[in-house]
Amino acid sequence: MNLLYKTYYYSSYQCDQGRCFYVDFGHKRVKLSFCQLLALRQKVHNIDISSHFDKDLNYSGIEILTLCNREHLFVFDTLQIIDLKQLLKATFGILELNSLVVP
Amino acid sequence: MKDIVRQKIGINVDVMDLLNEQIAKEAHSAAAYLAMASWCDHNGLVYSADFFYKQSNEEREHMLKIFKFINENGGTAYSPEVSNINHEFNSLQEIFETALDQEIQISKSIHNIVTKCRKVMDYGTENFLQWFIQEQMEEENQFRRILEMFDLMGTDGLALKLIDERIKHGE
Ligand SMILES: [Fe+2]
Ligand SMILES: [Fe+2]
Repeated sequence: MNLLYKTYYYSSYQCDQGRCFYVDFGHKRVKLSFCQLLALRQKVHNIDISSHFDKDLNYSGIEILTLCNREHLFVFDTLQIIDLKQLLKATFGILELNSLVVP
Repeated sequence: MKDIVRQKIGINVDVMDLLNEQIAKEAHSAAAYLAMASWCDHNGLVYSADFFYKQSNEEREHMLKIFKFINENGGTAYSPEVSNINHEFNSLQEIFETALDQEIQISKSIHNIVTKCRKVMDYGTENFLQWFIQEQMEEENQFRRILEMFDLMGTDGLALKLIDERIKHGE
C-alpha cells in the first residue's frame, strides 16, 4: 500500500495489488475504486466553503457526504472540509505526477 | 507504484472536468433554444420556431456525445443542472444575435479545452473535439447568414414574414 498524501485529519493510499484506493478518515478506512474516488473528488469539489461563513446559507457549518452509492455516510465540519479539499487536490496531483514517472 | 489511474481512465482528469462543464453548457444551449422556439411560436413565426426546436435537439445531441465519450473512456459524466434561461426578447433579430453570441461562446469554450488537451498531451480528447470545432464553425456561419438577411431586408412586418419563410427553406 502506497501513501499518496496525508493531511491533518486524513490520508489517501493506492493499493497496487487490489488496483484500488483507500481513504483513511481517522475512525474508518474506506476502500474506493477509481470511479468512487472520482465521485468523492467531485462531491468535495462541489462544496461551497464560503457558505460555511454565512449563517443563512449553512447555519450549522456542517456537510453530510455519502460515499460509494450511500454505503458510507460522513458528517464533516468546516475545518474537516477544508482538509478534505486539500487531501483530494493533492492526491490527484500526486497521481498525475505518478503518471509522468511511470514509463 | 503502478499507474492505476491510467489503467482506468483514457482521458486526463482535468480535461474530464472541462468536458463535464461543456456538458452543462450544451444543456444550457439546448434549453435556451427551446425558450427561443417558444417566443417564436407565440409571435406567429412558425418556421423560426421549428428552426429553434431543431437547434435545441442538436444541442442535446452534442451534450450526449460528450457525455458518452467521458463514460466510454472510464471517466464519470455528470447530468447537468440547467438554470437561468432567458425567455424575454424584443425581436426576432435580437434572438438570432443572442443565438450567434451563444455559439461564439461555445466555440471559445471548445477551443479552450483543446488548448488544455495539448498542454497535458491528451491527444485522444483533442481528436474527439475536432468534430466540435468544425460543427461550431458551421453553426456560427448559419447564424451569420440569417443575420445578414435582417441587414438586407429590414425588420418590419413583411420583411419579418419573408425572413421567417426563408429560414424554413434554409434548413
Ligand atoms: Fe453545441
Ligand atoms: Fe450550437
